[in-house]
Amino acid sequence: MRKCQEKKKKQQIMINRRDFIKKSAAASAMAAAITMIPGILFASDQENSTLTGDINWTKGPCRFCGVGCGILVGTQNGKAVAVKGDPNSAVNKGLLCVKGYHQIMCTSSADRLTKPLVKKNGKYVETSMEEALDLVASKMKETIDKHGKDSVAMYTSGQSTIPEGYVASKFMKGAIGTNNLDCNARLCMASAVAGFLTTFGADEPMGCYEDIEHANVFVLWGNNMAEMHPVLFSRMLDNRLNRKNVRIIDLATRTTRTSKAADKSILFKPQGDLAIANSICYELINNGWVDNSFVEKHVAFNKGKTNIGYGLEDNFKFNDEATPINYEEYKTFLADYRPDKIEEISGVSAKDIKYLASIYGDPNLKVVSYWCMGMNQHTRGTWVNNLVYNIHLLTGKISQPGNGPFSLTGQPSACGTAREVGTFTHKLPKGVVTNKKHRELAAKIWKVPYDRIPDKPTYHATEMFRAVDRGDIKFIWTQVTNPLVSLPKTSRFRPAMEKESCFVVVSDVFPTPTSDVADVILPAAWHVEKSGMYGNSERRTQYWDQMVEAPGEALPDAWITIEIARRMGFGDLFPYSKENHHEEIYNEYRQFHVGKKHNMAPLDILKKESGTIWPYIEETGKSTLWRFNSKYDPACDQAKDFDFYGNPDGKAVIWQRPYEPAPEMPDSEYPFWLNTGRVIEHWHTGSMTRRIPVLHQAVPNAYVELHPTDAKRLGISNKEKLKIISRRGTTILPASINERGMPTIGQVFVPFFDESMLINDVTLDSFCPISKEPDYKKCAVRIEKV
Amino acid sequence: MKQGYVIIGFWIALFIAAGFIIKASLAEDQSLNYNKIVEQASTNSLPIEEGVYKLSYSAKEYLELVNSGVGFSKNLTSYYNRRAFPGAPPTIPHLSEESLSIGGKECLQCHQNGGFVDVYKAYAPIAPHPEYINCKQCHVPLKSEGNFKANSWKKMEAPEANQQALIGSPPIIPHSLEMRSNCLSCHAGPSAPIEIRVTHPNRINCRQCHALNDNSQNTNKIWTR
Amino acid sequence: MPIKSYVAFPQKGKKNQLIKVLERSNYCEVVPSSNKEVLILVTDTQNDRQENELLLALENIEEIEHLNLVSGFNEEVSREKEKATNNDK
Repeated sequence: MRKCQEKKKKQQIMINRRDFIKKSAAASAMAAAITMIPGILFASDQENSTLTGDINWTKGPCRFCGVGCGILVGTQNGKAVAVKGDPNSAVNKGLLCVKGYHQIMCTSSADRLTKPLVKKNGKYVETSMEEALDLVASKMKETIDKHGKDSVAMYTSGQSTIPEGYVASKFMKGAIGTNNLDCNARLCMASAVAGFLTTFGADEPMGCYEDIEHANVFVLWGNNMAEMHPVLFSRMLDNRLNRKNVRIIDLATRTTRTSKAADKSILFKPQGDLAIANSICYELINNGWVDNSFVEKHVAFNKGKTNIGYGLEDNFKFNDEATPINYEEYKTFLADYRPDKIEEISGVSAKDIKYLASIYGDPNLKVVSYWCMGMNQHTRGTWVNNLVYNIHLLTGKISQPGNGPFSLTGQPSACGTAREVGTFTHKLPKGVVTNKKHRELAAKIWKVPYDRIPDKPTYHATEMFRAVDRGDIKFIWTQVTNPLVSLPKTSRFRPAMEKESCFVVVSDVFPTPTSDVADVILPAAWHVEKSGMYGNSERRTQYWDQMVEAPGEALPDAWITIEIARRMGFGDLFPYSKENHHEEIYNEYRQFHVGKKHNMAPLDILKKESGTIWPYIEETGKSTLWRFNSKYDPACDQAKDFDFYGNPDGKAVIWQRPYEPAPEMPDSEYPFWLNTGRVIEHWHTGSMTRRIPVLHQAVPNAYVELHPTDAKRLGISNKEKLKIISRRGTTILPASINERGMPTIGQVFVPFFDESMLINDVTLDSFCPISKEPDYKKCAVRIEKV
Repeated sequence: MKQGYVIIGFWIALFIAAGFIIKASLAEDQSLNYNKIVEQASTNSLPIEEGVYKLSYSAKEYLELVNSGVGFSKNLTSYYNRRAFPGAPPTIPHLSEESLSIGGKECLQCHQNGGFVDVYKAYAPIAPHPEYINCKQCHVPLKSEGNFKANSWKKMEAPEANQQALIGSPPIIPHSLEMRSNCLSCHAGPSAPIEIRVTHPNRINCRQCHALNDNSQNTNKIWTR
Repeated sequence: MPIKSYVAFPQKGKKNQLIKVLERSNYCEVVPSSNKEVLILVTDTQNDRQENELLLALENIEEIEHLNLVSGFNEEVSREKEKATNNDK
């Protein structure tokens, strides 16, 4: 005991001694300096404003992609000054990506919107928030009175917080009584949703990110995960480094960073994924790799309509019909997809298809399939989602750790807000508008008369803007999104929005091409300038507290919606307080999802934890990691081992879906495929990331990627300006050859973040008839030198 | 005699049969036609993207070396001293034989994978671009000191290390990636200059967090509409 | 072991840059003058290797015009002295 104390004392003495020596060293140096330079002064307690000072770290989810990393934002003197990964978050374990690390820097952009702007006589005039809100409310009321409820519309976002989405839904469907509410998640996840609903009857993945720690093979279907879900990709790389028998297979239409990191890269032709998936199923059946007992107990077989069109015409309508079939009919159908028969349309050799099939078919290999926009932004997006589920259902590789299909989400809250709150024309927070029971539930919780909620969906995103063009919609309000850069065929929708016939209100943080055509611009609070919740790809809901004040008159979008609703006479439906509206709204919203299958954690748990996964079981405080598997999911019928309780018979559905070609394929006049996408440095339309100097300097402008052979043939050198022309529009971009990515011969790729090189002027507004999600990955263009 | 004929006849029959079998199998090949329609990912594509994953199989070993104190003799001063300007090909600081070879087979013996070289008592730096095998095209030894005539060449400043946009954010990449996209070859391992040795070489996807800000695109630092 | 202190004169106009560089350097603590283009640098290393590393690094900091060593304390020596005095007691 004494020795220990003595040791401690000595250590203390040593530390003190060292500090003392350092202080005397500094003092003698100062004395020397004073003799050299009379009048010199030294600050006594040096406080370096650049590096020290009290930094307060608050947790929250990242503003960007659907991975939903946990971040810690450092604030100092009321300003956000630093970001680091939250080491307590199971999602990213303290790691972020280059966008995540620098996200707070966009708010100090010089052109940040701080005051409402109203267009008067062709010029934008600053007004007070009161005046702007009064104008918007009165204009909305006037439009409804003159032209009916369905002449006004709201377009929100998969980046809106849960409260923002909830009040928008309540406002449009419960207060005004119109289904003219859709969101930009229609452009990214609608096919995934339709895939889930048709196969499982319930939305959102059954697995979670934990799969990464258990899987043996990761098959990436058409997504550049190294750039688009980088933190998850790093988890995969980490597993490959530290665990035996881990492989990454990249199945894509273009060579990317992911292809370079993967163990095997297989290139296929656009639209070929339909054939490849069916072919893999053929091989599984042909080689006896099917888990027959699983299929018998848990799978039903359906087929739908074929030749279903592409949505190119205005007012395109389609409703699918399910016809039950049996296993034999399905097998007969698959005979057309024997690997050698589909080499031509898929561009993949039979050998590679058999290789993929052998991986899925090996009962000792745990396989996770990941996909995102390659499969979703697809004119047969619902179909191809179904087809990948077929592979996992035939082999029984589903709902188990490291074994199962996982549909990755693009936006930070496309799950949490758009899908779970239901900011779509056909959705309610629980269920759909066409279902009487669901309308009754909404009417009860919202305290509105039952018949106010309309029972017919109206416009999905593409149709909504077509309706603006036709003059059917005379008032549109966009929040947290930039449709005039992100919609397909913006060459039609920009003049549409500029028309006199439509009054446009835009809520945003920065000026964008969409706000350029607005009649009223409302300044919005950015991410950490408001409290909120997001829900990421793996069903994890995350909460954050407001960390800094919004500048000027900027307000949280939810509060703006509430203020407008009050001005229109719906104050009794929106009795929330300004300080706590996000909490009050969440508590009201939670009621919709009560029950074993979708329970959301209460707010106090969300505040403490780095997010919880629903279904959340309050008795045990546990999140449900794997759904539909009775071992992990208490909502299952415990008598069965798997229970796909989204469907009434507890069975998942294998859909018979054929290959159908893309609507616009390259021909003699337009000989190239156009594929669009993103880069890691820039988020979507770049309104935030381009205003972050580090990210802007890394990728300052868009470009068009060409294959070196095509470039040589056309005599194009790197960075040369090229014109990309389609039947809809044209844009000018510099060439990029063998830099960030390499398309196949006969294909070009353009990232869409650059509003001055607007590639969506060139794309085609075709969509999947079932999900209504546009296909940004396939249309025909030609290249010309400028 | 008769036996001889039988044997010969037997062998001839065998050859004819073999001929038929080969012909038949070739014909089958034609009909099933396992030809790839689209070319597969070429291994020479995207040099700047793939560099970051090279050496990633050694990432765990690099991690163990981080705090081990192994190989601390190299620093940025000696690194830049061998280069006429940042980005120039370094001169060869050790004796190298004049040989008729172009260098690939000799130089890469040590510089492909690094390691401790007894003769020079130092760790060989790993070439970030081993695919270029004509080493002596760019890398030459210094055979004399002093100048032929007086020269006022002033070396430009090396890019500042550790440039972080915010407190604690991942430093940007201040140098161009041409021929230097293999991060681990210079930033990890015993031959890496101390100042730029990273604490986390096991995080393989470097460019996930570290943005390239090498000013090569001559762009304005701030974007305006 | 050595703790040393210097008066550092930065190159013309480079005081803030020099402060940043030194703050980022290992083993260094900086006390800038609030009114003149001068700063105090206190260095503290644990062993010879670190000291050599530090000296090399300091030699190569371009922003330094010149560095005047004012005082140096070799901890090891002092501790031995202490031990000796204790033993005498």
